[in-house]
Amino acid sequence: MATQQVEAGAAGHGAEPRGKRSEDGQATYLIAVAEALWEEMERDERVFMLGEDIGVYGGAFKVTEGFIERFGSERVMDTPIAEETIVGMSVGAAMEGLRPVAEFQYADFMSSGFDEITTVLSRYHYRSGVPMPVVLRGPSGGGVRASSFHSINPEPWYAYAGGIKIMCPAFPSDAKGLLKSAIRDDNPCMFLEHKWIYRRIKEQVPEDPEFLVPIGTADVKRQGTDVSIVTYGAMVHKALEAAEALAQRGISAEVVDLRTVYPLDEETVLRSIEKTSRALVLYESYRFLGIGSEVAAVIAEKAFEHLDAPVLRLAPPNVPVPFSPPLEDAFLPQVADIEAAVDRLTGW
Amino acid sequence: MATKIERDATASGRPLSDDRLQEILYFLKLARYFDERMEALYRQGRLPGAIYSGRGQEGTHVGVTFALEDRDSLFPTHRDLTAQLTKGLDLKRVMAQYWGRIDGYLRGRDGNSHIGDWVGHRTYAVMSHLPIAYPVACGAALVYQRDGSRRVALAICGDGATSNGRWHEAINTSAVFRLPVVWVVNNNQFAYSTPNAKEFAVPTIAERAAAYGIPGVRVDGADVLEVYAAAREAVDRAREGGGPTLIESVSLRWRGHAGHDPAKYVPRELLEHYMLSKDPVKNFEEYLRTQGVVTDDDIAQIQARVEREFDEGYEYALASPFPEPGDVTKGWWVEDGYWQSEPGRAGGTEAS
Repeated sequence: MATQQVEAGAAGHGAEPRGKRSEDGQATYLIAVAEALWEEMERDERVFMLGEDIGVYGGAFKVTEGFIERFGSERVMDTPIAEETIVGMSVGAAMEGLRPVAEFQYADFMSSGFDEITTVLSRYHYRSGVPMPVVLRGPSGGGVRASSFHSINPEPWYAYAGGIKIMCPAFPSDAKGLLKSAIRDDNPCMFLEHKWIYRRIKEQVPEDPEFLVPIGTADVKRQGTDVSIVTYGAMVHKALEAAEALAQRGISAEVVDLRTVYPLDEETVLRSIEKTSRALVLYESYRFLGIGSEVAAVIAEKAFEHLDAPVLRLAPPNVPVPFSPPLEDAFLPQVADIEAAVDRLTGW
Repeated sequence: MATKIERDATASGRPLSDDRLQEILYFLKLARYFDERMEALYRQGRLPGAIYSGRGQEGTHVGVTFALEDRDSLFPTHRDLTAQLTKGLDLKRVMAQYWGRIDGYLRGRDGNSHIGDWVGHRTYAVMSHLPIAYPVACGAALVYQRDGSRRVALAICGDGATSNGRWHEAINTSAVFRLPVVWVVNNNQFAYSTPNAKEFAVPTIAERAAAYGIPGVRVDGADVLEVYAAAREAVDRAREGGGPTLIESVSLRWRGHAGHDPAKYVPRELLEHYMLSKDPVKNFEEYLRTQGVVTDDDIAQIQARVEREFDEGYEYALASPFPEPGDVTKGWWVEDGYWQSEPGRAGGTEAS
C-alpha cells in the first residue's frame, strides 16, 4: 500500500494512521497503536472510543488524530473530566453489547477512576458471569522529564485487582498486535503505552489487519547464554543496549520481554533461566511491590535448582518520579546499572 | 389522600388497572413480610452474613420500579432489594444467595442484597461502594440513546451517597449528554448514623438537580402512587429523548443501617410518627380497600401468598448445596468457561 510522506502527528485531517508511516514503510510505536485502533474500529462497529480530548483535538499525543473525521463523534467520544464515569460508562456500555476503548490522557489519571477499575470492572465477571470487553489505554512511564503525575508505571496497582489483563509492549509490532488482541478480548484489558517509546522506536510493522499478538506471551528479544534479563516496557531497550555492551566484553545476555505483565508467561521466563542459570529482573515500576517482585519470586520458587546466583532485581526506588534531569536519571535504572548488576551475577 | 392519588395516577395519562394496583400491593406486602421474617432469622443466628432492612421505604422501591418496563435496566444499592423483587427476581434464588448457596444468582460469590440478575432482569449486581453503580448507569443509557431501542436506565442511591464524587460525576455527565436515565435518591433521612443535616447543606436533594441542568422532583415515599407518578413522568421523559430527571423520595429508615445496628440515633418521636402515619404498605392497603379495589379476603389471599412464597424460598435455599470450594479461583476470565456451564453441586448443605 502506498505511503505518504507525512510526519506523525502533523497529518492533515482524514489521514489514516497507515499514511503516517515513514517512506520505507516503518511505523513508530505511536503510529502502530493508532493503526491498531483504526483497524479494529473499521472491523467491528461495536468498538468505540471515549476519553478526554480524543475527538476534536485528536488526543494529547495525537494518537487519535483523524479518527473523528472517519468514525464520527459517537464512536470517538469526547468526555468531561470524570474518570470514574469514563470507566463506569465503559462498563455499562459493555454490559449492553458495545466494546469500549477508554483513553486516559496519561496513565497517571487512571487512579482518578480507581474504584470503578478495581471494584467494578475487574470483579464484575467473577461475581456474575457478565463479560466486560473493555480496554483502558493510556501513555505510561518516565524518562521524559514529565515528573510524577505524567510518568507513572501503574501496572502493579491494577495487577493487584486481579481481573484485568495488563500489557506493556516495548516494540511497535508487539504494540499493534497486542492492542488488537486486547480489543478483541472479552475480558477487561489495560494497555499501557510507554511514552518514551512513542516516537523513538520504529520498525516494519505488519499491515495484515488480522495480525495479532497473543496476550500473556513473553518474547525473547535477544538470545544469550550467560544471564537472563527479564524485563518489559522502555527498560527492554535499555537492556538491549546493555546486552550489546556486555557482548563486547564477552558476556552473552538473553533479554526476555514480558510484553504482558498480568497474567505472566512463567513458562518462557523459566525456560530462559534454565538455559542461563542467572536472572536479573529489570523493571520500571517501583522496586517494592513492582511487577519484578512477583517475577523474582516466581523464578526463585520454580527455578531454584537451575540458579547459580540469587535472583537480582533492578528497579527505581519507591519515590515519586522526580523532574530535575539529574534526579530522574538517578531514579531510573541506566545501562551502567544493568551492566553492574550482570557483573554481580556472573561474578557470583 | 384518595383524591391526590387519583389525580396523580391519571396525570401520566395511563391510569393503572385494578390488576396492576393489586400487583403493587403484592410487592409491598412481599417486601414487608420478607424484611420481618429475615430480621427474625438474623436475630436467631440462622442467617450467615448481614441484612440491610428497607422497611418503611417500600413505597419508594416499588413505586419507581413499577414505572419501568422489563427491558429497562435498574442500578440499585444494598438497601434496594425490594426494587429488585419488583423488577422480577425470583425470591427462591434471592434467598439462596442469602444462604450462600450455588443456586443464588451470584453462585455464592456475593451474599445478601448484594445481588443482581443482568441477563434475566437487567438489574446490576449491587456493590457496596456508594454510589458505584451510578456511572455504570450512564454507560447503559448511552447505548440506549444510540440504538433506538427507547430503553431507560434507572439508578437508586441513598441520601448519604449524594455526598460522593461519583454522584456528581454521573449526574453531570448524564446531563451533558442528555442520557435516558432516571436518578432516584431514596432519602430515608439517615446514612448509617448520619442525618441529612450533616450530609449536605441544602434543604432538599431535589433542588440540587438545577445545578446540573436537569429537572428535580421531591415526592412522599409513604405514597406509592405519588412515587409511581413521578417515576412514570421521568421514565417517559427519558424514553422520549428528554434527558435525565432527579427524583428524591422521602421516607424514614425504620431499622438500623444493618441488622446489628439498633439505630438509637433516630429520634423516637420521628420513628413513631412514620410507623404510625407514613407506612407505605398500610397506607396503600387502606387506600385500595376504601376504593373497593380489594376486599379483606383479597388482602388475606395476598398475605397468604407472600407467606407461602417466603417459606418455599427458605426451603429452597436450605436445600441448595454450597458452592464447591475448588471453584473459588474459577470465573476470572471468560475463557475458563466457569460461567458458561452448570456449576458443581457437590458442596453439601451443611455449614461447617
